[in-house]
Amino acid sequence: MKTGESGRPSELRFLDPAVLARLGTLELKARTVVEGFLSGLHRSPFKGFSVEFAEYRQYLPGDDLSTIDWKVYARSDRYYVKKFEEETNLDCYLLLDVSASMGYGSRGVTKLRYGSMLAASLAYLMNRQRDAVALTTFDDTITAMLPPSARPSHLRSILVTLDTLVLGKRTDVSKPLHLLADGISKRGLVVLISDLLDEPERVVDGLRHFRFRGSDVIVFHLLDPAELTFPFERAARFRDIELGDELMAVPAVVRQPYLDALHQAIDGYKQELGSAGIDYQLMDTSTPLEFALMSYLSTRGRAR
Amino acid sequence: MFGLSFLSPLFLIGAAAAAVPIAIHLFYRRAEPVIEFAAMRYLRQAPVEQSRRRRLRELLLLALRVAALTLLACAFARPYVSGSAAGLNGAATIVLVDTSASVSGPGQFDRARERATDVIRQAPPTHAVAALSFGPATDVIASLSQDRAGALAAVTRLKQGAGATRYNAALQRAAEEFGGRSGRIVVVTDLQESGWDAVDGGVPENVSVEVEAIDGPATNLAVTSLRIEGGDAVAVVQNYSPRPAAEQVLFAVDDRRLGAVAVTLQPGGNAEARLSLGSLESGALSASIGDREGYLADNVRYAVVDPESAISVLALTASGRPSESLYLERALTVVDGAGGFRFKAVSASGFSSLDSRALADVDVIAVLGTRGLEQRGRERLVEFARSGRGLLLTAGPDVEPAVLKQALSGVVSTSWRARNATPLAFTPDDARHPVFRPFGGAGTLGNVSFTRAALIEPPASAKVIARYSDGTPALVEERTDRGRVLVFGSDLNYGWNDFPLQPAFLPFVHEALRYLASPQNARADYVVGELAGSAGLTPGVVNVGAAGRRVAVNVDAREADPRRMTVDAFQSGISRLHASALQEARAAASQQEDQQSLWRYGLLLMVISLAAEGLLGRRLG
Repeated sequence: MKTGESGRPSELRFLDPAVLARLGTLELKARTVVEGFLSGLHRSPFKGFSVEFAEYRQYLPGDDLSTIDWKVYARSDRYYVKKFEEETNLDCYLLLDVSASMGYGSRGVTKLRYGSMLAASLAYLMNRQRDAVALTTFDDTITAMLPPSARPSHLRSILVTLDTLVLGKRTDVSKPLHLLADGISKRGLVVLISDLLDEPERVVDGLRHFRFRGSDVIVFHLLDPAELTFPFERAARFRDIELGDELMAVPAVVRQPYLDALHQAIDGYKQELGSAGIDYQLMDTSTPLEFALMSYLSTRGRAR
Repeated sequence: MFGLSFLSPLFLIGAAAAAVPIAIHLFYRRAEPVIEFAAMRYLRQAPVEQSRRRRLRELLLLALRVAALTLLACAFARPYVSGSAAGLNGAATIVLVDTSASVSGPGQFDRARERATDVIRQAPPTHAVAALSFGPATDVIASLSQDRAGALAAVTRLKQGAGATRYNAALQRAAEEFGGRSGRIVVVTDLQESGWDAVDGGVPENVSVEVEAIDGPATNLAVTSLRIEGGDAVAVVQNYSPRPAAEQVLFAVDDRRLGAVAVTLQPGGNAEARLSLGSLESGALSASIGDREGYLADNVRYAVVDPESAISVLALTASGRPSESLYLERALTVVDGAGGFRFKAVSASGFSSLDSRALADVDVIAVLGTRGLEQRGRERLVEFARSGRGLLLTAGPDVEPAVLKQALSGVVSTSWRARNATPLAFTPDDARHPVFRPFGGAGTLGNVSFTRAALIEPPASAKVIARYSDGTPALVEERTDRGRVLVFGSDLNYGWNDFPLQPAFLPFVHEALRYLASPQNARADYVVGELAGSAGLTPGVVNVGAAGRRVAVNVDAREADPRRMTVDAFQSGISRLHASALQEARAAASQQEDQQSLWRYGLLLMVISLAAEGLLGRRLG
């Protein structure tokens, strides 16, 4: 077994304890009702098979009266509701872009590595909630696929897969998305982690395919700080990391037009995906993962 | 034609630094770094620079850098535009034709024109040709070119002048015309000995000087002076021949004959012809003779009869006794009325009691004594000097230098102190100064013997115009705001020298006082070429200024002297100029460069180039 920098097993190196500790206090809530066997925070049409008591909480107006523990009321003359740690049969599909462009990183952390950590964190979170997690990596086609499973050993398989990723070729987001959308039989949660360096229309079409199949979609748009700010000073030949072709450019001249084009694309994604009911989150790979993740989950929590 | 020259051409070597950016551009072109980048799809939407356009900009950048370095080198080399045909190739022949009064002898000028045309015709076919006429001024009558017909026509049209001969000025002007060419100057002249002027001219080493000598008259009679003394017109006739002569001097006023006076002249001698003017108060007076063998131009002389033109001189003496200003008074009263002097003497103590109205019509104050000069008198003296009128300060026994120094503090900086009695002589330091105009150099001034003299200590701003034989200043000129001050380092009353007994005393005192009075009392007598414009080119009485003041224009008396030098003597005079020619040329070039200050524009252009380079370089990254 490989070991990571901290001496922990390598498949666990993405699971920073500090990140996990904070994630443990947050709840991932799907906004839409998904198929599942267990009732809980996910508003499932199927009442749960297993309910594991977690804690008592004082009744607040609006709480479901069926959750009031009358025995406790009899003893203490106060209303308490029972909180349960829910289980669900939600299938969560993690789609990670491993195209060559994801190998770019100006500050040591490539977008692929950052995306891997993000996927691992989400997989751990899903697994802890007993959600079935699937992992699919792709470039212009699907390069690896792990089917959804809620078993703890499956998490380990996902982490091993994430740890052994190899950069692929050109980005073609739409083709794998359409393939996956066709292959998903149940409604679930689709998490796309990509730099989205593809035709925006094709990307949005692919994601709409998932929405058409009833799945919830979250998009993590990863961009390197250098891509966000274009900090270069001297004239240089910029080589396409995927295609290998070069472009002579003077940063002082092209910076603003480049940033305009980038922000136009980001705004387009926000608008198009928002209108399709798809969550979009721009992630700067210089931002600590835990902050980015918490920021997103907080946003989701408030949205509920 | 004009050409660009450089005062310090060695700095142009610095322009070689322009090769550095060129070499870097050609051999050390920096390859742009290659940066791997992912978001190329957005970069492609930006207006990335095309290689061809970038190459053009790089070339423009290179040109700006080269221009900046070249301009810097050029600015240090101090460029100037020379007013000659600089940069032209090929040899040249320049003909200098003497048109002065000394070629006004019978047939002389015709011969000069014939010689000049012969020289032009016989000039080597490869030579460019130019023709210049010279007298008091040098004029280019045919510019340097291959147009010989034009040069011949210009010489044919040339007319006789009445000005003085100025060889050096003419040679210098001709040398400028060469503008770096080689060739020869052919001087068509009568070789008049007095024609060497004080202007330092220079002929380049690669230019030879040839002389086409024109024969002149062996004898000459000339009217060299015409003045008004005590109601008489006095003409001086000079005999420049080795044999005696007799001549009639004809006086006229405004072309109306007044009378004729016969004079007899010894060989080389002169004689005065005196005629009473009677009740005549004003007019244009002329005195003429009928000499047909000598120069025609000097046969007549003019003067203006104008009582208002008399210069008022106030002598300041110790006690006011007539003997204290006797010699000055006698020197001035011989010329009264028009062009003369009004003299008055006053004691220093009496001067102190004068009011400003009493000084209103005084042109010059001659300070011969200061004993008894009170504070009020000192203030009057300062007011007088500051009013733009003239002061003649003599360092005689009755003048206390400390008193004058204190009185004129802030106006006159020249001071003097006593020194031991030593026999000294006196010679002009600047023979061209108007004070020494009548002497034609040292003349008889060298005969003045000084037994005692003051040691004058002039400030740097003062001009020493005469020195004693030991080199110390004898006559110093200092300018006040509007006026002039002359400090004479001895007395003028036969105390410390025999100057008043010498023939030079009278013209010296006259000219000195006229010079001091000239800002207030403009001159009434000029020589040909002194006045600006065509009016000053012909002898006669002309009107000058807005008020139409009448002045006399006469032939320079030195032109009347027919003595000639040999061609060798003329050539030796030029060869003496050779040594200083380069220095003179450089001084002239320096002056020209200083006036033009082209280096400032060079530096300005360099700064603009650097600014443009900075902007363009920033765009190119």
